[in-house]
Amino acid sequence: MPTLPAIFRSKRVITLVASTAVLGTLLTGCTATTSTAGTSTSTPSSTSTSTAPTTTAAGSVVAATEAFTATLTSDQLASLNQEYTLENAEAWSNLPQAMSRNRVGLQLSELDDSQLTALGTLLQAVTGTTAGEGYDEIQQLLNADDYLADNGGGSDYGSGNYFIAFLGTPSDTGTWELQFGGHHFAVANTYTDGVLAGATPSFRGVEPYGTFEQDGETNAPLESEQVALAAVLASLSTDQLSSAELDGVYRDLVLTPGNDWAFPADNEGVQVGTLAADQKALVLAAIATYVNDINDADAATILAKYESELDETYVSYSGGSSLTEQDDYIRIDGPSVWIEFSMQRGIILSGSHPHSVWRDSTTDYGGTQQQ
Amino acid sequence: MRNSALAALTVLAGVAALILGVAAPASAHVLPTSTVVLEVHDDAMDAQLRIPVTDLVSASGINLGDETAADLAAHDSAVAAYIARHFAPESATAHLVPPDGADPRMFDLGYDVVVHRIVTHAVIVSVQNDWSGGVVESARGLGTIRRDTVTGEITPLTVDLGAASAWTGFTSLVSLGLSHIREGVDHQLFLLTLLLPAPLIVAAGRWAGPARPRTAVKRIASITIAFTIGHSVTLALGALGLPAPQPVVEALIAVSILIAAVHAVHPIFAGREAVVATAFGLVHGLAFSATLTGLHLSGGQLVLSLLGFNLGIELMQLIVVALVLPPLMVLARTRSYRPLRLAAACATGIAAVGWLAQRVGFANPIASAADGIEGVSVYLVVVLWISALTVVGYARLPLTRSGRSAAGRLTGSSIRYPWENAS
Repeated sequence: MPTLPAIFRSKRVITLVASTAVLGTLLTGCTATTSTAGTSTSTPSSTSTSTAPTTTAAGSVVAATEAFTATLTSDQLASLNQEYTLENAEAWSNLPQAMSRNRVGLQLSELDDSQLTALGTLLQAVTGTTAGEGYDEIQQLLNADDYLADNGGGSDYGSGNYFIAFLGTPSDTGTWELQFGGHHFAVANTYTDGVLAGATPSFRGVEPYGTFEQDGETNAPLESEQVALAAVLASLSTDQLSSAELDGVYRDLVLTPGNDWAFPADNEGVQVGTLAADQKALVLAAIATYVNDINDADAATILAKYESELDETYVSYSGGSSLTEQDDYIRIDGPSVWIEFSMQRGIILSGSHPHSVWRDSTTDYGGTQQQ
Repeated sequence: MRNSALAALTVLAGVAALILGVAAPASAHVLPTSTVVLEVHDDAMDAQLRIPVTDLVSASGINLGDETAADLAAHDSAVAAYIARHFAPESATAHLVPPDGADPRMFDLGYDVVVHRIVTHAVIVSVQNDWSGGVVESARGLGTIRRDTVTGEITPLTVDLGAASAWTGFTSLVSLGLSHIREGVDHQLFLLTLLLPAPLIVAAGRWAGPARPRTAVKRIASITIAFTIGHSVTLALGALGLPAPQPVVEALIAVSILIAAVHAVHPIFAGREAVVATAFGLVHGLAFSATLTGLHLSGGQLVLSLLGFNLGIELMQLIVVALVLPPLMVLARTRSYRPLRLAAACATGIAAVGWLAQRVGFANPIASAADGIEGVSVYLVVVLWISALTVVGYARLPLTRSGRSAAGRLTGSSIRYPWENAS
């Protein structure tokens, strides 16, 4: 099993979204984007929001793709460059490659160290800088799969089994998608005329769940998501909890890979508009743990949209509200945003592990869907 | 790797009983789905349910302890009651027996076991045996029962089994018989090996020169007919319920091939081939019958199936004999037949030993290789025909060119006609 160079093995930054202090700064940052732009200096995301227009960020993505493709052989380029079709866009999965086999693109095991470094630079350009999210999270998730490979999963697992694909030609005109994914992981950034038209479906899952060591690094990917989502449920009163509780058992996500454009017609759960301001802040903070996976400027734009729709957003859950045991499930369903987090039984290891998906009912696949 | 046991539940037509068992552990990454497999009979239907035990526990609220087979058996009636509450076919009454006037081939399955509670669960429904619909020995998908994520409702599954007729059932059994011999390398090898020395005469206790064509054809016909009579008898008896322990039958089939191979090398029952063919036909017929009993047929369907299946077997047997015998009879007159016969008999003998070992419990590469012969048998037939046609062409060449008698050249060729020398 090839291991990735150091750039893919990050040191985990321990700060988590557990404290209200962090939540406060996130909220301040987001508020800043809608009111007095440029005044907030508390977080990287708020700073970049106020200074960098979205188009510049996308432009740098095209430049980053060119820097990466310059390192590749013609055979590798042939694998990397795929047609922009809905079929290719939908060819992602949460399953390990040995069971999915649908993925298109260039497999990471085909890349040498310098090519992997170039890929890392590209991924950094499209992902966020928040600790525990974005690029940091990607590195931790790949470490997790290397951990699985070393601890009973075997060669079907590990960071060499991930794929990078360009659907369409990266350009500031027309539509193309940057697709990166593998076991428990899918990034789907669709760019139209140089602007990020959609950052979803975005899948995150991890086994082992919790803190683990891999190649000398400490990792705990998706802990920030779990903590932020559990904080939402913990803040609800008994009455709010009972209106948030779903009927039935959720053993998996509802909008799993392949279940595209199948958003429920009716919202379920408790409406965020009925919650107190601090509870709303917790919901937005939880959403931010997903949105902040993409680059800071784009994340701020999307988060502002979700914030404007927050009152029309619903939170629902099933199982335990701690979100730690099998069948514990939470959903955030807004006019655009759709986030699900599901605790499931272990596959390679004992104990529970989460699957999670962030979708957007208007901009999944950049809005591309079957006519 | 953790395992999740599956419960196998059989809802028997007309009988309010559930048979519980634990099926082979599923791979952990396999999607947690239930399956419903329908078996369609004359007047009723069986449905076999496979439900992940952990999902059954979650959905039913029945505590199955460690979720072992014994735990399942201990809660048999509670599980049955739970399933009965969530499995009520629309146009059928208890246990899938259609009420008078209801269409037994198109109905709402009325199934929401587990799905009613586990929102993310899916149930895959298929039909495995549907004789009059032409579904035998292979499953046909009917649909999936799951919650529509948009509406949140479980969409009812309408089972549409399509048109049905006795003719469809009969012809599907004929083609099953055909494929059974086409894929049944061991049956083909037994018959062919038995026929290998049939075009030869015995002299001084050894296989000698070629028999007269008329004699050879008679012998081939009698061996083929004898084998047919033998396996027809036990096919019928087996299908009607004669117990036939398949491991023993399969082992005996390997023995029959081995004996035929020895006989092809050195005559051990010359002149009594028909008797031996009948005896071993009885053994092979018991193997054929296992296929029919697996279809769980009765009454008129069983009679028609026996007829159709046997007809298919005979047809494919005749096709194999017609394809292989003519070139063998031609080649039997050449000096190259002896090495060909010995090589074929030895190869068959080795395959038979491999099969015998495998069938008494010792898996081996020889048996696996022999199972793969099916793929190359077409090429063997082509090679046989090319060889035979080459011999014929070589013998005829002088006749067609000069019109002179070929006799003089024939003595120099590889073809010998002992009965002509004698006359």
